[in-house]
Amino acid sequence: MGARSRLLAKLKAGEDIPGTGITLRRAPEQLELERRRPLSYYRRVLYFCGKCGQCRYVYQDAYWSRVCPSGELRKFEAYYLGGKNLLLWGLLSGKLEWTSKAAEILYHCTLCGNCVQQCQLPEIHNYALEWLHAARVEVVNRGLGPMPEHRRFGEWVRREHNPYMEPHSARLSWLGEKPKGKGEVTYFVGCTSSYRELEVAKAVVSLLKSSGVKFTLLEDEWCCGSPLYWTGQVDVVEELARHNARELEKTEAAVAVTSCAGCYRMLKQIYPEVYGVELSMEVLHISELLLKLVREGALQPERELSWAVTYHDPCHLGRHTGVYEAPRQLIGSIRGLELREMLRNRRNAWCCGAGAGVKSAFKQLASYAASERIREAEETGAQVLLTACPFCEMNLREAAEKAGSKIRVLDITQALSYSIKASRSEASQH
Amino acid sequence: MWLEVRRELERVVGSEYVSSDPEVTFLYHWDFVTAEEPGVCDIVVMPGSTREVQEVVRLANKWRIPVVPWVSGVNIGGLATPRRGGIVVDLRRMNRILEVNEDDMYAVVEGGTTWGDLKGHLERHHPDLRPGVPWAPAGAGVVPCYLCYGFTDLSFMAGTGADFLNGLEVVLPTGEVVRTGSCMCTSYWHSRAPLPDLTGLFVGWDGATGIVTKAGVKLWPNLPTEYLILLADTVRDGVEAFKRVARKCTGILDMCFVNYTWLMSLLGYHEKEEDPLDPEEAGVQDFYGLIAVAASSEREMEAKKEAIEEAAGTGVLADLEAVMELFPEEARPQGYALVNPPIHFYNCWNYSYGGGGEWVGCYLSSRHVASYYRIAVSVAKKYGRHAQMYGRVMSGGHHWIARVNISFNKDDPSDIEAARRCLMEIDEKVRQLPSVVRYKAPSWAKERNFSRASPDSLELIKRVRRLLDPNGVMNPGHGL
Ligand SMILES: Cc1cc2nc3c(=O)[nH]c(=O)nc-3n(C[C@H](O)[C@H](O)[C@@H](O)COP(=O)(O)OP(=O)(O)OC[C@H]3O[C@@H](n4cnc5c(N)ncnc54)[C@H](O)[C@@H]3O)c2cc1C
Ligand code: SF4
Ligand code: SF4
Repeated sequence: MGARSRLLAKLKAGEDIPGTGITLRRAPEQLELERRRPLSYYRRVLYFCGKCGQCRYVYQDAYWSRVCPSGELRKFEAYYLGGKNLLLWGLLSGKLEWTSKAAEILYHCTLCGNCVQQCQLPEIHNYALEWLHAARVEVVNRGLGPMPEHRRFGEWVRREHNPYMEPHSARLSWLGEKPKGKGEVTYFVGCTSSYRELEVAKAVVSLLKSSGVKFTLLEDEWCCGSPLYWTGQVDVVEELARHNARELEKTEAAVAVTSCAGCYRMLKQIYPEVYGVELSMEVLHISELLLKLVREGALQPERELSWAVTYHDPCHLGRHTGVYEAPRQLIGSIRGLELREMLRNRRNAWCCGAGAGVKSAFKQLASYAASERIREAEETGAQVLLTACPFCEMNLREAAEKAGSKIRVLDITQALSYSIKASRSEASQH
Repeated sequence: MWLEVRRELERVVGSEYVSSDPEVTFLYHWDFVTAEEPGVCDIVVMPGSTREVQEVVRLANKWRIPVVPWVSGVNIGGLATPRRGGIVVDLRRMNRILEVNEDDMYAVVEGGTTWGDLKGHLERHHPDLRPGVPWAPAGAGVVPCYLCYGFTDLSFMAGTGADFLNGLEVVLPTGEVVRTGSCMCTSYWHSRAPLPDLTGLFVGWDGATGIVTKAGVKLWPNLPTEYLILLADTVRDGVEAFKRVARKCTGILDMCFVNYTWLMSLLGYHEKEEDPLDPEEAGVQDFYGLIAVAASSEREMEAKKEAIEEAAGTGVLADLEAVMELFPEEARPQGYALVNPPIHFYNCWNYSYGGGGEWVGCYLSSRHVASYYRIAVSVAKKYGRHAQMYGRVMSGGHHWIARVNISFNKDDPSDIEAARRCLMEIDEKVRQLPSVVRYKAPSWAKERNFSRASPDSLELIKRVRRLLDPNGVMNPGHGL
């Protein structure tokens, strides 16, 4: 066994694709392709797929666990990555017609990228997420998409700048007093924390206040564009990006921080790479900023929480932008928290099931994926499931409630704020 | 009619597990890898239990329509391609590991269990035991591999996949359920002995005699293992060295080799014009043998390695790790993965950057392995193709497998056609060696397999098939 485990450890070592958390799969003579190109550009390469099914399992790790929420729910080949690749080839080659069924299959996917991480064929491993997204843009261009629910929230974003069918004027209703003036840090709240998971927004503000950092909010924040971008409704995203960038620049902050993993990816990756919208400030996820503040002593999470916790990696934060360790180190800084990893973690983390328009258009998939994650979290024996994205938190919490699970789902900012301000009796209630 | 068939199937398995949508059935009409002709999948159905499989098969008989067992369809012989249309029975919902008997070292698995499922379950819950696993992807099926005489990383020690089967539960083409082996008359799945060996009615028939819903599969102790590489200049030299080792050494789990071209493709390199079509002729080292040896103590391991070295005589022995260090870093991961299959050896089909690959694989005598290789290389060379060769010593050296893989562009009909001609010619020429029998043979090659069989033997095969499948519904166009 000695030789085998030594060799397998070498096999697992790897760097990341720049800017992402997916391992860079380097093989000799692999093709270098451009990113963010139209679907047809990838036709040849996606047909390298051999429908072999490796992309349904973690490769050489985590006991070969399953990875694809879409395929595991619907079971047919078409719903896994291999099936989607070959279906796309069939569509691009005129073997199949573009239909609403094809659109449904292509949208029945959280774009979580776990399958992509597992396929070792380098060109698929490194680029499949490009064509899974380009396929949605193509479906929209052909008038077969997005799904009706996506179109509805897309229209609402155009009108009221949020996908939750809420008035724009209510965006900051959760906030007592708005911080005045400019700050070193600007908190980009995001729609989910503004309209649904208000506790996350409140926790962030309370933590920033406790730290003494001078912070501010945008005067007029709009949806970051993530739900539209990932559902292929790309036409309006540039306007959102430019508006938010203008608003961010107005604050003259050195750091923009988001508590939502989806917003983080937009500001950090999609705005500059796709729309050329470069921010003059550093973009951080809240876990990165809070860790820094804890390390500098500005925040002292000293109240012991005595919880066994597990951590769910949001796809936008982990696989797509490579932030795996900051949330874990933050958890490690809170006294009394014992982190118990789930079997599928970091690059192999099972998706919560909410992203890329799934929660609105494919409720069964969103609920299935989340309940599977809750089951996995329960297996660790943890009392609390922490995550670092309000959208994941919302979907996971709903699934836990539906399943009658005892596990409590919280955002990492909530745990930190309890450890800073809660009395012992308050904390032990959780 | 199809609407009615669909409705009836939906009543059996639930509407979510039946589809006749072209976007879904498209994925079942062909294997998307080989140069074998595509077929037609009219309906795909995913049963969840033996009873549901029975019902599906009964419906197929009622409507007299074909029914094709399928797990992942990546057998590389096109054996699950629906040749006459009909219902593809995708078994992947039936993927549970029902039992692991640690005392008698076997597992009972459902018919749709994949390598990922089985390997993962054992690693997690029974780490002291291991199955024999092919160098196939994690999504490929365990039961089809064993039923089709697959070969694994334990094949030197324990033989073909068929030898790993202790017993089966099978839905016959007429819908009855039978059991073979000890599970026929006890609750144990420990062996096929000492009963009439009905398992043979389902092994080597390409899913044409029934749908296996459960199988008892042998497991082995998971002992510390070392991986030695035996290098020789030519395949002929290497084969002779392997034969010597097979005669003299014990404790070997696996003994297999690849030629230069296969090694390059495994490590992630791609087919290029300037690469030698005949590495041996070009003076490139052409035999890379892997010997996996297990021992329970270091002393035992050292003694075994010494014995192997002595027996090999010629040839250079080194450990796998040291050999891989000779290659650039980006080429090593695939080499390391060999020690823990399933593996994702994507260049089996994408060596030419065309997504297509097919092999001519044979069971044969050790006497003919080197000649098989020379013949395959010379035919491939004629077609301007690079022959990827891979061979394995089976059952302690009682027979071998040899396999030559040809890559092509599956997006180009003329290249597919050219590859097919090349494969057919390799098949035709290697058959002139007296011991050669094709495995996982597409139907044209299967017919050639039997061209030298006696009429009585052939008649027996046909009679058995007619007896089991009077309506001819089970995977027609495959088997014989
Ligand atoms: C890259 C690559 C490398 C490979 N390397 C190896 C190797 O080293 N050794 C090896 O042995 N194989 C190898 N294979 C082949 C493959 O792994 C095996 O043949 C096997 O695991 C195929 O599984 P499958 O699920 O694709 O079977 P399928 O293609 O779905 O089925 C194969 C045949 O079995 C029938 N069948 C399927 N399920 C049942 C059932 N439950 N009851 C009755 N009949 C059934 C089908 O009708 C068909 O005739 C390799 C394949 C690939 C793609
Ligand atoms: S995407 Fe990769 S792992 Fe998945 S079926 Fe295709 S080649 Fe295999
Ligand atoms: S991106 Fe996620 S949901 Fe979509 S096919 Fe891949 S693993 Fe499945």
